Amino acid sequence: MEFKHKKLTNGLDIIGELNRDAQSAAVGFFVRTGARDETDDINGVSHYLEHMLFKGTDKISAFDVNLRFDELGAQYNAHTTEENTVFYSATLPEQIYKAIELWCQMMRPALRDDDFNMEKNVILEEIAMYKDLPQFDVLETCRNLHFGVHPCGKSVLGSVESIKALTSSQMRGYFESRYVPNNITACIAGNFDFEQTCSLIEKGCGSWKSGPADRKLEFFNGTAKKESHTKKNLNCKHICLMSPTVSYQDERAYAATLLAKIIGDDNGSRFFWALIDTAIAESASMHCQAMDGVGAFYTYIRASSENGDKALAIVADIFKTIKNNKITAEELQKAKNKVLSGITINNEIPMGRLLELGVNWVYLGKYRPVEEEIALINKVTTDDLHQIAQEFPLEHFTQFSLGPE
Amino acid sequence: MPEIINTYNLLNGMTVIGIEVPAVQSAAFEFMVPAGAAVTPDGCCGAPSVIEDWVFRGAGGKSSRELSDIMDGMGLHRGSSVDSKHITFAAAMQAENLSKAIDLYADIILRPALDAQQFEYSKQLALQGLMSLDDDPRTKIKLMLREHFYPDPLGRNTVGKQEDLQNLNAEKCAQICNENFRISDCILAAAGKINFHKLCDQAERLFANHKSGMTHTISHNKKTLGYHHYPYEGAQVHIGLMTNSITPDNPQYYDARVAVAILSGGMSSRLFTEVREKRGLVYAVGASYHSLKEMAGIGCYAGTTPEKAQETYDVIIAEFRKLADGIAEDELARAKTGLQSAIVMQSESTIARSGAAGTDYYMLGKVRTLDEVKQSIEKVTTKSVIDYLKDNPFENFCSVTIGPNEIKAI
Repeated sequence: MEFKHKKLTNGLDIIGELNRDAQSAAVGFFVRTGARDETDDINGVSHYLEHMLFKGTDKISAFDVNLRFDELGAQYNAHTTEENTVFYSATLPEQIYKAIELWCQMMRPALRDDDFNMEKNVILEEIAMYKDLPQFDVLETCRNLHFGVHPCGKSVLGSVESIKALTSSQMRGYFESRYVPNNITACIAGNFDFEQTCSLIEKGCGSWKSGPADRKLEFFNGTAKKESHTKKNLNCKHICLMSPTVSYQDERAYAATLLAKIIGDDNGSRFFWALIDTAIAESASMHCQAMDGVGAFYTYIRASSENGDKALAIVADIFKTIKNNKITAEELQKAKNKVLSGITINNEIPMGRLLELGVNWVYLGKYRPVEEEIALINKVTTDDLHQIAQEFPLEHFTQFSLGPE
Repeated sequence: MPEIINTYNLLNGMTVIGIEVPAVQSAAFEFMVPAGAAVTPDGCCGAPSVIEDWVFRGAGGKSSRELSDIMDGMGLHRGSSVDSKHITFAAAMQAENLSKAIDLYADIILRPALDAQQFEYSKQLALQGLMSLDDDPRTKIKLMLREHFYPDPLGRNTVGKQEDLQNLNAEKCAQICNENFRISDCILAAAGKINFHKLCDQAERLFANHKSGMTHTISHNKKTLGYHHYPYEGAQVHIGLMTNSITPDNPQYYDARVAVAILSGGMSSRLFTEVREKRGLVYAVGASYHSLKEMAGIGCYAGTTPEKAQETYDVIIAEFRKLADGIAEDELARAKTGLQSAIVMQSESTIARSGAAGTDYYMLGKVRTLDEVKQSIEKVTTKSVIDYLKDNPFENFCSVTIGPNEIKAI
């Protein structure tokens, strides 16, 4: 693997990792903006704007955008989180340059009113769709409860009210302040030529004007509030727990990831033996989300409504006793093995590598080769995990549950 | 460098497939055991989903914890699933662990402990899985659609039925396991950084002495397609529909696949354009091809708020039917390019490649090379797609809705 980097004079970063053996190439535009960068009156605009980029430019219609990607045989999509909006595609190597040219144009969208009004229906349908997915709904509501006034509690989708009230001029204002070149990273992985890529991006994006796109970073411990709601169409109890942990920039982020795996991996974890092996819960998992200047552990449990409280008590006990019921070297090694083989499998596909590469650059401002990633995981000790558990007591969690009436 | 595909049959009939993929460090395998939902005795619907969990609860003299420790020691990424004909056990790992992983899966498949106490836990999990399906209408509708589209037992629900699951006991499930885990009909497909000869030697050593039982023959009747509604007080009406298609061994198979791609390949395809882009009726709409060995269908899913449900359904049906009226050369070209490039990109994943190889062998008795697939797609013309649509018109549909209100279905 060979790494390349170029910064355009307007601040746009181009990074690439070359793999000549790959059968495909993937490109992504990572915009450092998401729900946390919104104000309440425009909540949901980042995600809505992500949709609107596919509606084309002054020169390309919405249908033509789709047409051109399909002509390339591209697999393409985008996603929005609390802090990133990412546009990406994978193609066979010979088609990557046309895909890059298209993305460069799309990053300066027309944001036509007609398209804006039509797409509003699609966004409202997406909100409705997630309402029918309690597993998602419970996480979203818990995040809001956990982060309280911290901007990371904002909904990515927004609410029906905020989306209905949003105007296209509000979206244009947001676009102009956040899609400045110094807030964007173009990332390419797989089989491609870096020089050719750079000249295309420079031609397409070199004239954009930079501007301030700040984000206030503030660590937050969480509210530790507890709420429970019911819904008449539900069958199971869906429980989400959240507690604070290290940020992405913290060198202990891998330790936090491994701690979450030991406690809540799908297989062979403490949750697994206490809840799934015993059939108390149908699903129980924990993961670490290290974010920009802040972090959170997420736990999700799904059980019958009779077993919900019992499952919750067991989880609370696992959290409380993690300091005394010491993590063994074997437990840590197993978690490392799972993470390491995951890296191998993921990195064999340019699209998998792209996301890792881009996210590392956005959060750390540097390239992290796979070898370094592996070394960082291998060097984590059980003491590191215990230290995380001491500093961020898992038992001080925010809790939101959703169950049948 | 092109991939190298090898196939080998053990004396007892079991098939071993190996795809050596250059320049990867991982290996993945899929073990297809002929114990799926359609070959389960009547009154035992859901037994395969119990068995799928139960066999991991101790095997080959190792406890469930010991098995789990060995798998985690290898950092195995594992999954298992049940479909109409098979329980499939899949795993991906760093290539050096492949041989050890296959040893372990031989224990799980050949020598599961099938402990009666552990059975109760597996059964409870299966019952909870069934219950949670009601909280996930998008997943539920896919199962319901297949159940209503395919004749029994082909379309039988893979998650199970409450009454049947309640009545299952360890003895009955162990008996199903003994009868259906026929090694002779198993397929082991591996892909990645593998040595095929070593893989065959190992399979020979582990599996060749295990005899076969009688292969099931499944008889089924023709089914009349209709409309089925499941009331659900949700935010959306979830719409599923399915119409007859042809199986992968049919000479017109790629015409059918291209027809589906024109309807629902990329974002310029007809359904996405007409239902979402032009009318804003949905967030999610998509058609896909689904096949069993005996018969196949083209299915479609859309989710929409109740007041838009009828229009969404009507537009989808109209788009299906319009396809036979004519196809433009450029949309044919896009559909073909999309399919061809997806096939190359999927082959980069050792997990996807081993899975596709196992399914190919089961359906066709051979594994298609990537070039063969690409060339077959290349041969498709607008005329051949229209001919396929004339031979297999989109006339009758099985329609299912889950949501607050019913629709008027055809």
